Amino acid sequence: MVPVLTHTLWRRRIGVVWWALAVAGMCALLAIAYPTVRDNNELDKTFANLPPSVEALLGLSGGNLLSSPVGYLDSQFFANILPIMLLVFAVGLAAWSVAGDETAGSLELLLANPISRIRVALARFGALILLMAGLTVVCIAALIALAPLTGLDKGLPAGHVAAGTIACALLALTFAAVAFAVGAATGSRSAALGAASALAVAGYVLEGLAQQVHVLHPIGVVNPWHWLLANDPLRHGLTWRTWIPPVVAVAVMTVLSLPRFARRDIH
Amino acid sequence: MTNTPIVTHRLTKRFGRLTAVADLDLQVERGEIVGFLGPNGAGKTTTIRMLMGFLRPSAGRAAILGARAGDVGVRHRIGYLPGDLRIDPAMTGMQLFHWYGRLRGHRNQRKVDELTERLDLDPSRPFGTLSKGNRQKVGIVQALCHDPQVIILDEPTTGLDPLVQREFLALLAQAAGDGAAILFSSHVLPEVERAADRVAIIRAGRLVTVATVDALLDQARRRLELRFAAPIATSTFDDITGVANAEVHDRIALLAIDGPVGPALRAATDAGTLLRVNPAGDDLEDLFVSLYHQDKDASKDRIEV
Repeated sequence: MVPVLTHTLWRRRIGVVWWALAVAGMCALLAIAYPTVRDNNELDKTFANLPPSVEALLGLSGGNLLSSPVGYLDSQFFANILPIMLLVFAVGLAAWSVAGDETAGSLELLLANPISRIRVALARFGALILLMAGLTVVCIAALIALAPLTGLDKGLPAGHVAAGTIACALLALTFAAVAFAVGAATGSRSAALGAASALAVAGYVLEGLAQQVHVLHPIGVVNPWHWLLANDPLRHGLTWRTWIPPVVAVAVMTVLSLPRFARRDIH
Repeated sequence: MTNTPIVTHRLTKRFGRLTAVADLDLQVERGEIVGFLGPNGAGKTTTIRMLMGFLRPSAGRAAILGARAGDVGVRHRIGYLPGDLRIDPAMTGMQLFHWYGRLRGHRNQRKVDELTERLDLDPSRPFGTLSKGNRQKVGIVQALCHDPQVIILDEPTTGLDPLVQREFLALLAQAAGDGAAILFSSHVLPEVERAADRVAIIRAGRLVTVATVDALLDQARRRLELRFAAPIATSTFDDITGVANAEVHDRIALLAIDGPVGPALRAATDAGTLLRVNPAGDDLEDLFVSLYHQDKDASKDRIEV
């Protein structure tokens, strides 16, 4: 398994460096722009009367003020840009792991070697988790290093910055697991990408609507966006409600898809 | 328990309503090279991919080295070259050989060096920058560099120039000499004629014939084109021993011979001044075509040469 895992890391080495630079760059922009937002009280007033659905999606529910570090980071980064960036990275890589490589035709020759399909799939998913962990570490380090420069760390413990970032990575990993599982079970890269993107978009919209439409509340139990946004890890740290559901979801989807991958025809 | 390295028994693959391979029985013994012939879409690649475990048989079975096809436990003893070779374009040949060496648990540097030298391959260039022929060489090296006991190759000579083709066929003969069982598909007849001990011909998913190359050549009709100085009678070759078919047009006669050629030539010299005797067409190719046209519905098949 190790040679497949290290090969996947090697293959993605340049791409992930660009992603890390992009994430760190976003962190720098956030820090640079913060003083302007902090000193502009009008913004708080403007955002004070938003409908709850929009508040939730902006990460401003529960009395977060836009001008506070937590409110600012939640509304500008942790409730949208960061999870979406990580989503795009993780889902793309997950769709490639089995289905994309299979569609490209390069999986077949690898599977002629003495390594089982399940081990190849697990090694690929393991590499995805490691790459996500790398991006997460870069993001946490950049925020912790840059935040004090503009007072963005006021009342915001470093542990909570880490919690917020990890929670976003877990959300991305959950939808990546959808792409991985659909790709492993079907061999279709477009089905993998389509299923994961459709669910990610639907989950985001539903989480906003659920604030107003109470019938939709129960969906939150299985909505990764709800696990992230409703528990606000930037304010409360990494509670079990934030990390257990995505970890379980990733494990279940991966395990369920593998037997099918082991048995089906490779195209 | 059989010692035959490659065995299929009533191997069948259906895709929906299409039957790609039907009741295929084939064996390749140790030290034997079997050429797998047939037109595009006849089921060669489907059969090979079942042998490699990429496709699950709909019925029947395929076994490699005594294990079910696809069994991970014997894969380090199998060398495989796909018909459509795809490799990560950023990877160099050498990186691929090292990577596969680690997966196979086999130190293979000396063999890799020998193969790259004999095939004249530069293994330090990324796969994506190589020509089609050089890509094929990368595929051949990775298929042979671990001294496999079973070698399965799907159209291996595609893109190779004639010199490299010859070297490649010599490599196969050497591997067979070392005891490997080799199955390679092709639609190019001369290379099969040259390299294979036996030929299996498949058409529309069914084996049409399995025979030694010598037996096929014996069976093959010889075609002759005779040119005369003046027109000859159209009945010249009627009832002549050994002449299976004769077409006479003016000063030219086209003969299909399936026996001794003497009587036909005697009849020709009696009929007029014989100027030239030309062999017409490839003997084995002729047989090959006739095997394809045994059934009426086979007429749409075409052989690419």
